[in-house]
Amino acid sequence: MNIAQQIVNGLVLGSGYACIALGWTILLGVARLVNFAHGQLYMLGAFATWYAITKLGMPYPVAILAAIVALAVLGALMQVTMMGLVMTQNLTSLMIVTLGLGYVLQGGSALIFGGNPQTLPGTLSRAKVDLGSLWFTWQDVLVLVATLVLYGAVWLFTQRTRFGSVIRAVAEDPKLAELFGINARIVYLLVFVFECSVVALGAALVAPRSPILTSMGFNEVIMTFVVVVLGGIGSIGGALVAGLGLGLFIAFFGAFVAQAYTTAAAFAVLLALLVVRPAGLAAK
Amino acid sequence: MLRAAAVAALVVLAFFLPRLLGGTSVVYSTLTTIAIFAVMCYGVDVVLSYLGEVSLGHTLFWAIGGYTAANLSVKYGLNGWSTAFATIVLSIAAAAFLGAVTLRTREFVFSLVTYAAAVVAYEIAFNWEAIGGSDGIVGISALKLPFGVATYTGATQEELWPIAFALLLATLAFIERFRRSKLGTTALMVQMNPPLAASLGVDPRKVRLAVFVISAPITGLAGWLYAYQRAYVGPDMFETYFLVMMLTAVVLVGRRVLIGPLIGTAILIVQQNLLSLGGDWNKIILGSVLALVLIFWPAGLIGLFRRFVKSNA
Repeated sequence: MNIAQQIVNGLVLGSGYACIALGWTILLGVARLVNFAHGQLYMLGAFATWYAITKLGMPYPVAILAAIVALAVLGALMQVTMMGLVMTQNLTSLMIVTLGLGYVLQGGSALIFGGNPQTLPGTLSRAKVDLGSLWFTWQDVLVLVATLVLYGAVWLFTQRTRFGSVIRAVAEDPKLAELFGINARIVYLLVFVFECSVVALGAALVAPRSPILTSMGFNEVIMTFVVVVLGGIGSIGGALVAGLGLGLFIAFFGAFVAQAYTTAAAFAVLLALLVVRPAGLAAK
Repeated sequence: MLRAAAVAALVVLAFFLPRLLGGTSVVYSTLTTIAIFAVMCYGVDVVLSYLGEVSLGHTLFWAIGGYTAANLSVKYGLNGWSTAFATIVLSIAAAAFLGAVTLRTREFVFSLVTYAAAVVAYEIAFNWEAIGGSDGIVGISALKLPFGVATYTGATQEELWPIAFALLLATLAFIERFRRSKLGTTALMVQMNPPLAASLGVDPRKVRLAVFVISAPITGLAGWLYAYQRAYVGPDMFETYFLVMMLTAVVLVGRRVLIGPLIGTAILIVQQNLLSLGGDWNKIILGSVLALVLIFWPAGLIGLFRRFVKSNA
């Protein structure tokens, strides 16, 4: 049953894409900010987890928390530095600044963590499950469950709480929101810190599947673009569906066409979509 | 008249600069690299300075130039004119395709798609053995430019310098013309005063497409010459380094300054070649310069200088 196995692989891949893309969806959709350091933040999240496990001797769940805290602090620092550009909504400069900061993170991580590939010990990626002819790992189950829970929680939070509407008000018009007594700076800061911590969580969950390198992050960032644009910019439910759909597509493409060109295939899907529906699939 | 004479004198002085600096092969190679990289940066400059949008895909055109020169000269023995012509055609085609696909999308989607295009092109170049694969193409023969009966050969750094210098001059002349052309002024209007542009019936997205398309062969030709200078091309032409370098060189001195990217490139290359602190530290320096300039001195070094002059006056 190769098809059934590919569906399992697709769900496994797709939940990973969706998990990594969540922070970006919120950042872009809710706060209208773009972060090109996303791939390097993913890399750093993975290395923070690795460092906490191997050098500080923390168990895996504690290491995940440590990575989240570390990236939240880093995100706060980045956002405070960029606050002037954020408040004036200078998107052009922000894109370039985040790209530059990503490059700094890449150089800095290579200095601190070295240039060798590393693997994350103590995770569930060795715990295999065999169901007849199908197989997957407990780590895959963990990623899928965590992704669904996260998306549910974030959806409830942005749609059903007062704070969710505050964020959306700031995204519409930061100056107007300030007139109503909302501190837009704090909102932007919190959204960015959220993006960094959730990408750390995503990295801690997804990265154990394969060896990690300080030069990685580009594939993750492309998959994130595709998920966010495919799902309709800022749509939380759309991103989840797009992530799982993209995972299935990549699993089948990799199995039946060419494993080496999966990123190119995802990009081709994105281009086709932009021509047909420039605003994304979920747009009305 | 006086201005033209001053420019001519500067050009002659610049041409003999490597000899004035000692004429060693290190000097020739550094200055040739600066000229090539400056041309590379001018491609991004056209989009960023005059249109005000961010292309993160110019490494693609840079690599198209390199791969075209390498493949056509090694496999088919074509001379420099033919490979340059093919570079121009292919980079325009690639830019027109990317620009047309993103024609109806918002500006940040344009940046996303250009960025993704470069990453994906890297994956293709890395895996596709027919154009070099992960090893790239080694042993590109010397650049040959036939002029009628005679042929100019650029085998050494010293012989490549006049070609790099000519390419840089041609690029500067092109940018100067572009600044005063209808497209250049329209692009600036779209950036500075969108309501005015809209009231004159200008479609900003079509302007974006046109500017993007004419910017591509500039960076492409720089990559073309870089292939001959290194005698090698490989997937490393897609490295983020080149992208960050292009953006930093443009913003460092100040946008919309004609020789800004040239001076920016010179400063950055001198730091990397002569005052290098090692690869990882150079990354931190380059990325920090890019981020900090945009955050604290958006007008670049020129803006700082003007502020300094003003406060003293």
